[in-house]
Amino acid sequence: MIQYLFLIGCILLLIGAIAALLIRPVKQALFFVVVINVLALVVNLIFALMRLIALPAVTDLFPVFPDNASLFRADGLALFFLLVITAVAVPTIISAYTYLQHYLHKEASVRSFLTSFSLLLLSTQVVVFVNHSILFLVFWELMTLTAYLGMLLEKEKEEVQKGSFVYFATMHMATFILYIFFFLLHDHFGSWLFSDYHLSLTTGTIFYLVCGFGFLGFGIKAGFMPMHFWLPWAHPIAPAPLSAFLSGVIIKTGIYGIFRVIEFCSPLPVWMGIAILVLSVFSAIFGVWYALAQHDIKKLLAYHSIENIGIIGIGIGLGVLGVTYSVQSLVWLGFGGALFHIFNHAIFKTLLFLGSGVICNNCHTRDIEKMGGIVHHASWFVALFLIGSIAISGIPPLNGFMSEFLIYKGFFNASASLGNYFPLLMLLLAVGLAFVGGLALVCFTKINSIMFLGTERSKLQSFIVSRSEYTALGILASLCILFGIYPQSLLGIISSVITFNHAGIILQPYKMFTHWEFLTVIFACVLLTIVCMILWKKFNTQQRISQAWGCGYTPLTPRMQYTASSYADEINSISSHMLHLEKDVTAPKTLFPQQSHFISHSDDFSEKKFIAPIYRYIINKIDTFELLSRTDIRFYITFMLIMAIIYGGIAIVWPH
Amino acid sequence: MAALIFQELLPFLFILGISPLLVGLINKQKALLSGRRGAPIRQPYYDLFRLSRKETIYASTASFISRLAPVVSFSAILVAGFMLPIGYMRPLLSFSGDIIVFAYLLGLARFFQILGAMDIGSSFEGMGAAREAAFAVFAEPIYFFTIGSLAFVSGYTSLYEVYLSIHLDNPSSLVFIIVSSISAFFLMVTECSRMPIDDPSTHLELTMIHEVMILDNSGIDLFLYQYSSYIKIMIYGIFEVLFFNPFSLQNQWLGFFLFVMLLLLLTTVVAWVETMTARLKIKSIPQYLLFATAIGILNLLIYTFVR
Repeated sequence: MIQYLFLIGCILLLIGAIAALLIRPVKQALFFVVVINVLALVVNLIFALMRLIALPAVTDLFPVFPDNASLFRADGLALFFLLVITAVAVPTIISAYTYLQHYLHKEASVRSFLTSFSLLLLSTQVVVFVNHSILFLVFWELMTLTAYLGMLLEKEKEEVQKGSFVYFATMHMATFILYIFFFLLHDHFGSWLFSDYHLSLTTGTIFYLVCGFGFLGFGIKAGFMPMHFWLPWAHPIAPAPLSAFLSGVIIKTGIYGIFRVIEFCSPLPVWMGIAILVLSVFSAIFGVWYALAQHDIKKLLAYHSIENIGIIGIGIGLGVLGVTYSVQSLVWLGFGGALFHIFNHAIFKTLLFLGSGVICNNCHTRDIEKMGGIVHHASWFVALFLIGSIAISGIPPLNGFMSEFLIYKGFFNASASLGNYFPLLMLLLAVGLAFVGGLALVCFTKINSIMFLGTERSKLQSFIVSRSEYTALGILASLCILFGIYPQSLLGIISSVITFNHAGIILQPYKMFTHWEFLTVIFACVLLTIVCMILWKKFNTQQRISQAWGCGYTPLTPRMQYTASSYADEINSISSHMLHLEKDVTAPKTLFPQQSHFISHSDDFSEKKFIAPIYRYIINKIDTFELLSRTDIRFYITFMLIMAIIYGGIAIVWPH
Repeated sequence: MAALIFQELLPFLFILGISPLLVGLINKQKALLSGRRGAPIRQPYYDLFRLSRKETIYASTASFISRLAPVVSFSAILVAGFMLPIGYMRPLLSFSGDIIVFAYLLGLARFFQILGAMDIGSSFEGMGAAREAAFAVFAEPIYFFTIGSLAFVSGYTSLYEVYLSIHLDNPSSLVFIIVSSISAFFLMVTECSRMPIDDPSTHLELTMIHEVMILDNSGIDLFLYQYSSYIKIMIYGIFEVLFFNPFSLQNQWLGFFLFVMLLLLLTTVVAWVETMTARLKIKSIPQYLLFATAIGILNLLIYTFVR
């Protein structure tokens, strides 16, 4: 029975994709697709959970689809990613139901969005099971393309065209790099199957080449700095459910790829672990620092994805070091922290992106400087968004803290068990992570207080949050709380995933790393104190409502409130050179102030210094090839013939 | 048995009971040093009692955040306090990895305090919150360079074990501890909003950090904020004092006695520093904090290579 579960799920998704085009009217199609997708995802979620729970007992790979063990295989890692994908996709599709209601007047766009989103869900779930390079590339490409088509929901807007093109072009560059990656692997091993790839340092240059191309290709997808530049372009313009899925899942497939590259290599060299660690810390710190300078809510969240990818990378780096030095506990803490953070980030980032979709649809802007006072319209919504914000800032008692806690434990473990220069390195990394936590706290207090608190900066008639949106956000928020207070539920699964995927690692009971119950006790203490105090406040005091204290100044207006720029200025002004923060200020000077204005804008370092010059260089050079672009078709046929001859020649000469 | 019960009750006594007294002592000594008679040492208790009986006024722009923030911030700080070993006795909550939980619980308190301040929508509170947030970012690394580096050097990850691992017999470790304690003093000054970072007794909103954040809180909310700021001083005071741990391993009670004496000495030092220095310009506070971080790094480098 369980053999067929995943197949059923995939077929249901396909039916959804086709139904989106056929059923009339579009409103019914929307309802049908949402229902059938939720059904399919729940089936796949059950499949993932059943397999994961059975994981410690099985010794062999089991087929995903019946009677086919070589092209698709379900190992621990793939099943864990399926769990992440389905857990995120269910709330996403539920909230998409309301989100798309706003676009029902554009029938064709909605239909195309629904089809591509269903196919996106399908290809993302299949891609993690693929064991064959060519098939992997096919599904990888399908994933990229359907996400691109989904982004075009509002294709008449210029920013959408531009942002989606940046995504499209960057992803194709990444795929091109992956072509080379798989070509090299096939050339060396003579097989297309992932399970046949076993690189070691003795294989010479090929090792470095494969690692380099693999990390580059998958790193672009994951959004490591400095390959992150497409994220702040693609996220703001994508429809909220898609940007939630993009950030929650699709960039994680890059991480999935990196896990696979690491699996191909054994033994792992030390430099690889250290390189991943350094790159990741760099991503984490600068990701959050850039986020601090943004006013666009979705762009800000996109930069936070880069930060969190950095944190996941730190975990992977620690795990690699653990494998290199064969320190079992470090492997567990590193990879375990990374996997747990993948899950957690998927949960809270989806919550935040779906929340931002609700906000954008109600306020008709993405600029947080124009919002404010939303809490007086929808306090439950604000509470849910706040849960996501606390979780992403890595603050207890929510799930974001738990995975960071594992990674911190990994630092301590590495320094104790590796010795040498490692204590110093690990301390610096720990300080880096603490710094990231501090900046994330500033950033999320910023967006919560500017968007929700205080008074309205521009008039807000009503703030409607539909039932489906509340359901989606509620599911995600309760998962944040569940895995914060009771992380043991997932840690057991993660433990068996690591054991399954790393031969030679003995199953480590997660209990041995800390007294998890103590954490629960501490959070229970905090919660208990909070409840006691609230009760005491309720019964013991008189309350009165009055005007805010203006320090003697009475005509306060909403425009006098602190803004996002002024709130973050204390930190941003220190690093304005690094951030390319540009301020255009005309301050009032005379007694009778003239017109004054303030505009601030932050450019991306890697985009401005790294990508744009290369792009300009290519654009300039491409002109020299102008003689190749003829109007006559015979020229093109000649070119094709020439290329075919060149390829054929190479194929004959190639040593085999 | 009696000794055991005493040990269990000690954290409650220190964190909840004596923390206002510590502030009273600091204020009294400050007054004496500047030639005034000053308020009685018991004054913070009177203040707390008075606040707890007053009416609570909420701004018309305030939401549920304002009502929740003082409670969350108080609870988080209180529970964090129970993780510290008082007089080198095993704290109520102690497990491997608690130095991280400790730092992040204080982060939770800060998160809600900032939100509570921003909830009013007044630019005064906004200013205080922005400053608090910015300086916290620079203060966070100091924590990891002091107690964190001790943890990395000793290999323990619970506050209790880390502090027990300190030995003053080895000269390089002595230097390490002394310099770390200086960094920790900077941290205490920042986190507790004392001079030269913040002037707790100023009356001009533009120059304040902590006080301006709670400008719109009154009655029971102000009580919670004040109380938690007293507890915070106690926490960071203990944090600082525990660095000097020469006798504890031989005799717990002697260690405890010394601990209390050092805590009293610390109040004198704080009062003296507050009398002697002026408040820093807001713009130069990050430099001050980065200086503390820098000496932490240098210190650690020295320790790593001398050892």
